[in-house]
Amino acid sequence: MHRRNFIAASASLAAASTLSQQTHAATLLKGKAEHVISIWLGGGMGALDTFDPKRVGDPKEKVAGSYYESVETAVAGVRVCEHLKNLAPLMDRVTAVRTVNHKVIDEHAAATNFMHTGRPVSGTVVYPSLGSVVAHERGAAADGAPPYVLIGYPNVTRGPGFLGARDSYLYLTDTSQGPAGLSRPESITPARQSRRQGFLAGLRNAQTPGDDARVREYEEAIDLSLKLSGPEFNRSFQLDSEPSDLRARYGGEFGQRCLLARRLIERGVRFIEVSHNLNFLNGSGWDVHNGGILQQHALIQEMDTAMSTLIMDLEEKRMLDKTLILITTEFGRPPEFDSGGGRGHQGSAFSCVLAGGGLNHCGAYGETDELGKKIVDDPVSVADLFATIHAAVGVDYTKNLYDGDRPVPVTDMGQPIAKLFG
Amino acid sequence: MVMAMSVSTVPAAELTPIARWDFSAEEASPLQPHGGVLRDAPGPRSPEYPDFAPDNTAIKLDGKGAYFSFDDAGVQSPYDFTNGDAITLEAWVQVSSLSGGENVYVIGKGRTGSSSFAADNQNWALRVRETQGKGGISFLFATVPASGQGNSDKHWHRWTTKSGFTPGKYWHHIAVSYKFGEPESVRGWIDGKPQPGVWDMGGATAEAPVVDDDAIWIGSSRGGAAGNSFRGSLDAIAVYREAFDDEVMLTRFRRVGEEVIVQPAPEVMPDLGELPTGRTLVALHEGMPEHNRWLNTDETVPPETLRWNSETFLLDRLPQRFDEWGIREDWKPPVLLRLAADVPLTPGKHRFLMRVRGLSRLWVDGQLIAKSKPVPGSPSGEEPMTPVASAPIAGARIAEHRQQEVFGEATISEAMIDKTGTCRVVLEMLVGGKAFRTDPGEICVAVESDDGNSFLLLNPTASAPVQLTDADVEPILVRLEESLQQFDDANRRAAAASQDGFWNKRHDFARQWATQHPAPSSPQAQPTSDVTANPIDAFLATKAQRAVTASAETPIAEARAFHENVLPILWDNCFRCHGDKVNGGLLLNSREAAIKGGDSESPALVPGNADESELMRRILSHDPDEKMPPGGDGLKSEQIAVLDAWIKEGAKWPAPPVTEKDIAPPKHLTDTEFLRRVALDTIGVPPSEESVRTFVADASQDKRTGIIDQLLIREEWADHWMSYWQDVLAENPTLINASLNTTGPFRWFLYDALRDGKSVDRIVTELILLRGSKHEGGSAGFEIAANNDAPFAAKGQIVASAFLGIELQCARCHDSPYHSTKQRDLYSLAAMFEQKPVTVPVTSRVPDAFFAKQQRQSLIKVTLKPDESVTPAWPFADATGSMDDETLTPLMHTSKGSRERLAALVTSPQNTRFAQVVVNRVWRRLLGAGIVEPPDDWEGHAPSHPELLQWLGQEFITHDYDMKHLARLIMTSDVYQRAATGTNRTTTPELRFFVAPDRRRMSAEQVVDSLCSAAGQELDVEELTFDPDARRPASNRLTLGVPERAWMLASLANERDRPSLGLPRARAITDIMEAFGWSGSRQNPRTDRETAANVLQPGVLANSTASVLLTRATQDSGLAEIAVHATSPEELVNSIFLRYLSRLPSDSERAPLAIVLAAGFENRLLHPAEISAITPLDPLPKVTWSNHLSPESTIIALQLEERARAGLPPDPRLRPEWREVYEDVVWSVVNISEFVWVP
Repeated sequence: MHRRNFIAASASLAAASTLSQQTHAATLLKGKAEHVISIWLGGGMGALDTFDPKRVGDPKEKVAGSYYESVETAVAGVRVCEHLKNLAPLMDRVTAVRTVNHKVIDEHAAATNFMHTGRPVSGTVVYPSLGSVVAHERGAAADGAPPYVLIGYPNVTRGPGFLGARDSYLYLTDTSQGPAGLSRPESITPARQSRRQGFLAGLRNAQTPGDDARVREYEEAIDLSLKLSGPEFNRSFQLDSEPSDLRARYGGEFGQRCLLARRLIERGVRFIEVSHNLNFLNGSGWDVHNGGILQQHALIQEMDTAMSTLIMDLEEKRMLDKTLILITTEFGRPPEFDSGGGRGHQGSAFSCVLAGGGLNHCGAYGETDELGKKIVDDPVSVADLFATIHAAVGVDYTKNLYDGDRPVPVTDMGQPIAKLFG
Repeated sequence: MVMAMSVSTVPAAELTPIARWDFSAEEASPLQPHGGVLRDAPGPRSPEYPDFAPDNTAIKLDGKGAYFSFDDAGVQSPYDFTNGDAITLEAWVQVSSLSGGENVYVIGKGRTGSSSFAADNQNWALRVRETQGKGGISFLFATVPASGQGNSDKHWHRWTTKSGFTPGKYWHHIAVSYKFGEPESVRGWIDGKPQPGVWDMGGATAEAPVVDDDAIWIGSSRGGAAGNSFRGSLDAIAVYREAFDDEVMLTRFRRVGEEVIVQPAPEVMPDLGELPTGRTLVALHEGMPEHNRWLNTDETVPPETLRWNSETFLLDRLPQRFDEWGIREDWKPPVLLRLAADVPLTPGKHRFLMRVRGLSRLWVDGQLIAKSKPVPGSPSGEEPMTPVASAPIAGARIAEHRQQEVFGEATISEAMIDKTGTCRVVLEMLVGGKAFRTDPGEICVAVESDDGNSFLLLNPTASAPVQLTDADVEPILVRLEESLQQFDDANRRAAAASQDGFWNKRHDFARQWATQHPAPSSPQAQPTSDVTANPIDAFLATKAQRAVTASAETPIAEARAFHENVLPILWDNCFRCHGDKVNGGLLLNSREAAIKGGDSESPALVPGNADESELMRRILSHDPDEKMPPGGDGLKSEQIAVLDAWIKEGAKWPAPPVTEKDIAPPKHLTDTEFLRRVALDTIGVPPSEESVRTFVADASQDKRTGIIDQLLIREEWADHWMSYWQDVLAENPTLINASLNTTGPFRWFLYDALRDGKSVDRIVTELILLRGSKHEGGSAGFEIAANNDAPFAAKGQIVASAFLGIELQCARCHDSPYHSTKQRDLYSLAAMFEQKPVTVPVTSRVPDAFFAKQQRQSLIKVTLKPDESVTPAWPFADATGSMDDETLTPLMHTSKGSRERLAALVTSPQNTRFAQVVVNRVWRRLLGAGIVEPPDDWEGHAPSHPELLQWLGQEFITHDYDMKHLARLIMTSDVYQRAATGTNRTTTPELRFFVAPDRRRMSAEQVVDSLCSAAGQELDVEELTFDPDARRPASNRLTLGVPERAWMLASLANERDRPSLGLPRARAITDIMEAFGWSGSRQNPRTDRETAANVLQPGVLANSTASVLLTRATQDSGLAEIAVHATSPEELVNSIFLRYLSRLPSDSERAPLAIVLAAGFENRLLHPAEISAITPLDPLPKVTWSNHLSPESTIIALQLEERARAGLPPDPRLRPEWREVYEDVVWSVVNISEFVWVP
């Protein structure tokens, strides 16, 4: 197949996915979401200290348990940690899936790969990330927008795998700059930029157009890149056009990333991954071994501030129902404390969170045992979680994608959490 | 219960153990060995230990988790001890080494890490515990934790002796007695003597120990944790159910001879004999005992491994270590490095400075004047930031990150100075260690100047003094690296030469074989063709002419109708299984075959009768088992109508329509186009401005052949081919933890091999034989496949697709649906590679549920039984012509081992497939399409020019498998020198004529390397490592060095999203490369990258950080130089075009750019008085793996990102306003599409 740039292809893809949905309409669950904002907590968020609180333990005496007290939420019987105080009243718009589980806990990169592709590393196939599959299936939501944007560091785990570059992300690591490659470098003034483009236009005019189709396509890509790197698209990245009180409500750099995510959704981006792991607060981010845990509450509070503001902001703009917010992480953490008072890794049960997206939220789904080590009820495999997300955003989670000839199911036989689809 | 009892050789008291292991040859031991256990190691022997036989044997354990296990006898077994029970444990131990705070198991019951038992179930254990460098003895048990006690250590009870024995070569006897429930009953003995001790963990307790049915382990615990594993030898281990007293124990140890007290050897300046005059000796001895101590009295310096002479007392890396074939090998750490010279010094008191990484000492004329500490281990990120070192004196070069700076004084008397006026200085340093990379960092010795204002590098020559300043040291470092590289090259080539005889014989053999198996000869030159000197063109012309002739037999319209309307339907829907492959015995890709039919014996085609044609019946069928094509919605009705009509009209299958016009070649490349193409195809970058000018001016007839020959001998040939083989062989090193199919950096093996011009059969052989270093660049790095539970299957798959054109991807889990390859083929290949039988891992098995769900008979089959053991066997005799028989013998170094056979089978001349696959790869890389497409999967894909392919294969075989010979053949052909208007890659083999090459876009590496070379800038990126101070082993944190060419970059994956693990300058470059299809993370082999245009490609060339920096006239760059020295704006525009596009601009390109450059041109240079020198940025503390979690590291990382964005400063000679316009002009030339296309 001849691949063209992502913008050109997005419209036809959207049409294609509608067709396949009709074929399976009878059996498939399908939600109303049009966009996904996926918040990634790199390092491994401990459920006991956030969305699945248990009895409080003692890190000094090595008594297993939560690090913090818990509080009531808007949903009766569902409690969250005290540092999620802004989210607690909003938990009726949220479902903490408390029984996600997998076995890849010894290595961050492998687990990160698992939680992005929904599969263990294969010896033969490079699987696409969740974002790339959604981009592949649904394309961008508007003309002139990329389908998939990453606010975080690029890596293969977040990439398109066998789907190819068209379904990859644009990325930025810092909200003060636009995406790498499509925003004017800060050292080049607007005046210089326009002088450069003037020279380039003159030179391109002086070229004799060849009849090689591939060279022509490259010329078209130049046109498009000039357009996208222009002021129109880059306006989405100008956070200072937002009301200052709203910016303040979102909080620090992570909050600004969430605000940018909302602006990009408005622009037509389909899937945005926002990384929350800025090292500043405790050095290790969510990977709270040893002393890393001492400032964990600051991370939780930062997430609470940004996430609750994002929910309310989307709701005020009537976008919450069509925007699925997701919090995922590579694995959870055990109730026991390590020798430095922090926590190791646990994959047997951990929490991921869904919010908005028009789902039938219930505060929390699934039940773990008294210390959150084992699943008591309603286990949700990573494939099930992915199927839920796909279903919510209208992707046929039962279909096959193709790596050359080889059929690869969208999820590894996952089934959506039916309860969330009313 | 079977118990291993042997007659005690100890005659002393009547002691009856419940178990005793002597590890002698006769022992019918029920012990199960696990991991690196060596039996029959020498034990304590008489006469030194008179209680043992002179040939007594012991076991030796590797300390990486090796152990013996022994099952408990069940409930109330003699091995269960509880309150009231007395126990004595004894053993003979010879401990090679102990690290700080280590507890290594001699024997213990419980705590095996078994999931059937509680984790902390130690009933009893005897261990050796490191205390202050000595081996103390330690008794350990656990009680049941009190409820609520959680994870505390209170339930552990450990008694440790206050003193111990010195690790080393001597055997020691250790023993401990205890009565459970009576903490004060504990006693410990070393060499028969009682030792005071203390309950140092959990305290003394009267509580009972944990008792269960867990096993007894010797040598390790906790599942084989390396940190708890015994490193050394063990003998005569016994367990008793009674306690002993001092008197009994005294009889347990006897040694004849002096009591040896091992102590550090005296510190004496080594006698190095005569030293080379005016040079600094660099001598290396590998395999020192420990990184943290010098030798003991019972040890000797290992023999010298390598010596070299350097300029001064300055060194920033070790020479490389090569194995006997010249393949990179690890230094065996720790390495003793000695720098020594006779240095001219004046009498009087001198102050010396030594900068070193690890344990070091410095002598001046025999006086020990400075000592440093050993390298400390690396924490996982929590280390506080190490501030930037301060200069020892204003203006001096500062010490590298964490290099120790030690001062010492020596008073030199007249008497010390010999008649040559020199005095001997010797530096000894330990480099690397078992847990450290062997990397010395920048080390030096300097002496304070007499006026006290500077430090001077110690310099054995009497030449001008070298100041310890950046300005003086940096040029020396450059020279040092050049001469070290020459030294490495010479060493490597000398070692490799030892194998030349073998390879010459093999190549003679190959030529002999070729004589007996001649290839088709080159056809007669076509009289109409103008350039036919090259046989390649004759082969191509013959096929093209034949096609025109065949086409003339059918009216062109009729042929078009079939080839445009009918054949595509068959092509799209049938040929995958009945053309590329012969499913059901049926071929549909020719009229004859289709009429013949397949296994069903009904003709698929009955010309004139659609109803009787099986083809139509199956297309129209609704039966899921009959319907064709299988699955999907079937053919559209209009397609069915086309086929129906075609059959009714007689199913004619005319030759494809080909006219003279179709095979008329396009124009030849101009000289500049040709030069650009040939340079990109050999050295990977465009020609220099000067070489374009010279080439154009050259009027000689054979200048094209001449330049091909000149370019082919350039070393950058290796750089150009590296990226290709890295992709094809899935080279995938990682800077952080091994995961996601990462490999070792076998890039360096390949690079060395290509630079040294090794033949391809030799490179592939050495690759398959997995030699040398795994983590520092040997071919052994190819073996690693992290997170992959069938690594040898993965490697077999790579070898098959890379060198045999056999695709085995599917066979990992099942027989290939579109190929004839079976799962067994892959695993028997894997078994050959691994040299042992293998089974399919669970993760590669198709679950039964999959087949149960299928309605139709599945396209995939699993013919290998799930637990079947697959033995080594060569599965590809038919496909390759290479047979696993006695003909292989002359092709092997040794007849031992299936891996050696595998290498020979792949690379033998009989394996014509190997030669042709390599030929096809080279052909395709130069012409944009293969004779066989795709190059990694030949099954069912006919060559477009079978005779040419055979002929080229034969050329390759008879010319020593030399890739450059192939390249030269192809580059000197007429077709190579034609305009790239071909569409060969997308055309069927039948219609692929190679009238012209296909258009190729530059590779990602070429884009970056071209940007650098055209700008006259070096690649400006960080060293690719997170462990610059070498405090971890290479297996954990390696370094890939500072990249000089784009292929040297690697995945910078930062899955942890930590800014402190960013390498922003490298990332600026990989941003460009990734847009152009490169990926540093090569999880799977690939021949083709994506080449389709996407918006990020022009985007990164226009807007990325690197594009800004690489179009900047940085200080002293090529861009700055041409701007400074330009004679006119027009000439400057010419230079820019020549550098970036290898041609002069047209008038309409030149004029407008010359006009803008003319403004201010005369004034573009600042007056010398106006120029302000560039002030270097202050050095920042180093962010490393060891400190990357400290909050400060993130702040510094962000500063580094900012500096990376700012880049190198512009040349201060150029007036900024004019320079910016100039840079904008350069930018615009880079951003026209021509820059990224190969002509």
